[in-house]
Amino acid sequence: MLAVFLEILRLGPEEILLLWNSLHFDLVQVLCSLFLVIFIATFYFMSKPRSIYLVDYSCYKPPVTCRVPFSTFMEHSRLILKDNPKSVDFQMRILERSGLGEETCLPPAIHYIPPTPTMEAARGEAEVVLFSAIDSLMEKTGIRPKDIDILIVNCSLFSPTPSLSAMVVNKYKLRSNVKSFNLSGMGCSAGLISIDLARDLLQVHPNSNALVISTEIITPNYYKGSERAMLLPNCLFRMGGAAILLSNKRRDSARAKYKLVHVVRTHKGADDKAYRCVYEQEDPEGKVGINLSKDLMVIAGEALKSNITTIGPLVLPASEQLLFLFTLIGRKMFNPKWKPYIPDFKQAFEHFCIHAGGRAVIDELQKNLQLSAEHVEASRMTLHRFGNTSSSSLWYEMSYIEAKGRMKKGDRVWQIAFGSGFKCNSAVWKCNRTIKTPTDGPWQDCIDRYPVHIPEIVKL
Amino acid sequence: MAEVLFICKRTVSSSKPVQPGQISPLSILDRVMEHNHLRVVFYYGLQTRRRAGELTKKLRESITDMLSAFPVVTGRLLRTSEGDWTIKCNDAGVRMVEARVEGTVDEWLKNVDREKELKLVHWEEMFQRQYFWSTFYVQITEFEGGGLAVAPPFFHPLPPPRTGKKNRNFHSINHYKSAKENSVPASDTKQTTITLKFNQEMVKNCINMARTTNADNCQPSLTPFEALAALFWTRISKVKGMKSGLVDMSLCLDVRKVLGLEKGFFGNCMVYNRVQGDGIQENDLSKAAGFIREAVFKIDRDEVMDLIEWLEQENWKTYPSCMNGSCLICANLENMNSYSAVFEENSSPLRVSYYIEPSVGAGQILILPSPGGDGPCSRVVSVTLPEVEAEKLLEDGLIKQFGPTIWMGLNRNLC
Repeated sequence: MLAVFLEILRLGPEEILLLWNSLHFDLVQVLCSLFLVIFIATFYFMSKPRSIYLVDYSCYKPPVTCRVPFSTFMEHSRLILKDNPKSVDFQMRILERSGLGEETCLPPAIHYIPPTPTMEAARGEAEVVLFSAIDSLMEKTGIRPKDIDILIVNCSLFSPTPSLSAMVVNKYKLRSNVKSFNLSGMGCSAGLISIDLARDLLQVHPNSNALVISTEIITPNYYKGSERAMLLPNCLFRMGGAAILLSNKRRDSARAKYKLVHVVRTHKGADDKAYRCVYEQEDPEGKVGINLSKDLMVIAGEALKSNITTIGPLVLPASEQLLFLFTLIGRKMFNPKWKPYIPDFKQAFEHFCIHAGGRAVIDELQKNLQLSAEHVEASRMTLHRFGNTSSSSLWYEMSYIEAKGRMKKGDRVWQIAFGSGFKCNSAVWKCNRTIKTPTDGPWQDCIDRYPVHIPEIVKL
Repeated sequence: MAEVLFICKRTVSSSKPVQPGQISPLSILDRVMEHNHLRVVFYYGLQTRRRAGELTKKLRESITDMLSAFPVVTGRLLRTSEGDWTIKCNDAGVRMVEARVEGTVDEWLKNVDREKELKLVHWEEMFQRQYFWSTFYVQITEFEGGGLAVAPPFFHPLPPPRTGKKNRNFHSINHYKSAKENSVPASDTKQTTITLKFNQEMVKNCINMARTTNADNCQPSLTPFEALAALFWTRISKVKGMKSGLVDMSLCLDVRKVLGLEKGFFGNCMVYNRVQGDGIQENDLSKAAGFIREAVFKIDRDEVMDLIEWLEQENWKTYPSCMNGSCLICANLENMNSYSAVFEENSSPLRVSYYIEPSVGAGQILILPSPGGDGPCSRVVSVTLPEVEAEKLLEDGLIKQFGPTIWMGLNRNLC
């Protein structure tokens, strides 16, 4: 193109006219060429994937009556596990190093002595969390229930019949032809799986809205036994939920907060160790809980490597990709002892939302990706303020970045989530418009207190 | 009579986290009351009918907010290096129990007695590991037919007043000495509580009757407390069969005003002062009132400070197992402001009942405030005695002469 343009500039105007006249244009030829161009253009635009916009999202803020300070948690633990002091001490050590704060919340049923995790209580929690988040989202976006075309709910450990998505349809009186889905058992990375599913559906259905709800219902999953590997989730998992509105409508492109750029999913389940590393099972006493294997961090590291190998070429600038390629070739052909080159993802993204699965996960990722403290601040502070809210934690982290006034138009955000399976899923968003502060959301009343320094060990 | 149905027990935390590291030491006045606790029941007859559990939820939210202002309440007991109790404000919360009763609050109040009323109050004895024992328990009982009972019993010891010094002889020591020296024998007699309401006129009559016949007109008249305490001292001595003189009695007085502390002060300010009953005839109301008045006047600031100093110097290996057990106790709780605990809709309590536990020994007289309306002198008197004596007291001629309303009598055959 450049060469042709330069050539045209070189020729004088008479020469251009001569050239034009020499081309014998036949009307038919002209029309055919025109149609060909139009056809190719149409084909291109039609087959281009639709742009998926994130209109807005809303995170659930638990009431203060659900707050569980460390001392209350430990006291309950001692009262309930009075015959297992070693297990109680183990929980205390976990809590001290967990990175959680004193304002995380558990559902009412877990505040009872002893806890009463009935199905009714679980449904109650689901209703409170989901409906609050959806009400808030509807208020923010102005969307009416009748406008929702696709509904996806993901909640890993609580899956009643009728499903939680049916519960939402019932409460909000959604249309009878709504496409509803309920994903369960997919772990903490299910939030991005839901986004991926919504994206695929929005490619097929033009001019549609998709409501995605990510949550984890804590009530039925309180482990009542004393196996240490299974007590960890009790210490870390807390109440939370998020509702997200996605759209492929052109008119939402102006008001949407983000545009979805990529979703990359990696599943390591084919490997037995990875498959079993987060495993729900019965303990020797018959009590059901989730067993976390000691190899969890190693497996997470492997899954992350696979994921970034796929996402790298999609997001990294050419320079980083070349460097990575050369180092890879060098290690394979010349010297295997060369240090593997870790691409600098800070060049590809302005913000990082790492699933707040636990302090160790965030530490590990910070080290692996060579991120600064500010990059992982959203994750650490979310873990401190809200605990591990499973699939919705990524949204609390986004909300933190927005509340801090750091989200500008054009910023790219990388959400990474890990989950049972073992899966590592990533989503890349591009900020569509600068988000002004103060924002409404779960951080509204406390953002000024953050960031806080989180000590290595909080002495209890 | 409807049964109290237990629903659940939970922990309620404050809405704001407590700054770590706060310690609240207990004064000697707090520590001597170690084995005592107070049980209170507030009754509300709320007009608007609500869904079951709705009121409890609102109260829980309200308690959560209130706890943020009192980090001591959500703390736990700890022994200092000297072996004394102190409170570590560790944000552990208070225990809350929820319960339900059939019927309305009015039906309940018509037929209630001590045993049933205490079912509305939740209490747990401190067990081995006191660090996990909540010092406060709140029980909220909803009446299915309408109404609410809220019972916040609490451990008697709580934070410290300022201490001072002066060396003088004082009388309040006697109660503490005797509590230290005498262990209370285990008693098989069943205690019961009767509650009588004296309206303005009745109290005024009592005051008039108790005035000394040759008193000067410029002498201030007796207070309702002095008059009623004298009345019950004499009557109870009679039912206990005292022939000459009255039983020994200890007055339990609120010394906040004396110490110059504000009403909102959070800590034990009840001090005991012994009155000897020798030489008073059972019908000599005015002499009894005179002795009581004298004992009340003696408790001035210096006296209290000296007492505190004495208590701190005494070598208490353990605190008395019961401050209430050594003799008849007469407690002045008329400044308790209980009826100002207004619930929404401007609903003040229908009734507030108090129990100082454990109730062992000769008995207790509690002079309590009365729900407003008929005058500043009206009072409620709650008497705990062995059942036989309580029965005799209700039949007493002099008391009947005043005609108090029996709020809680002896319910034997009602169920």
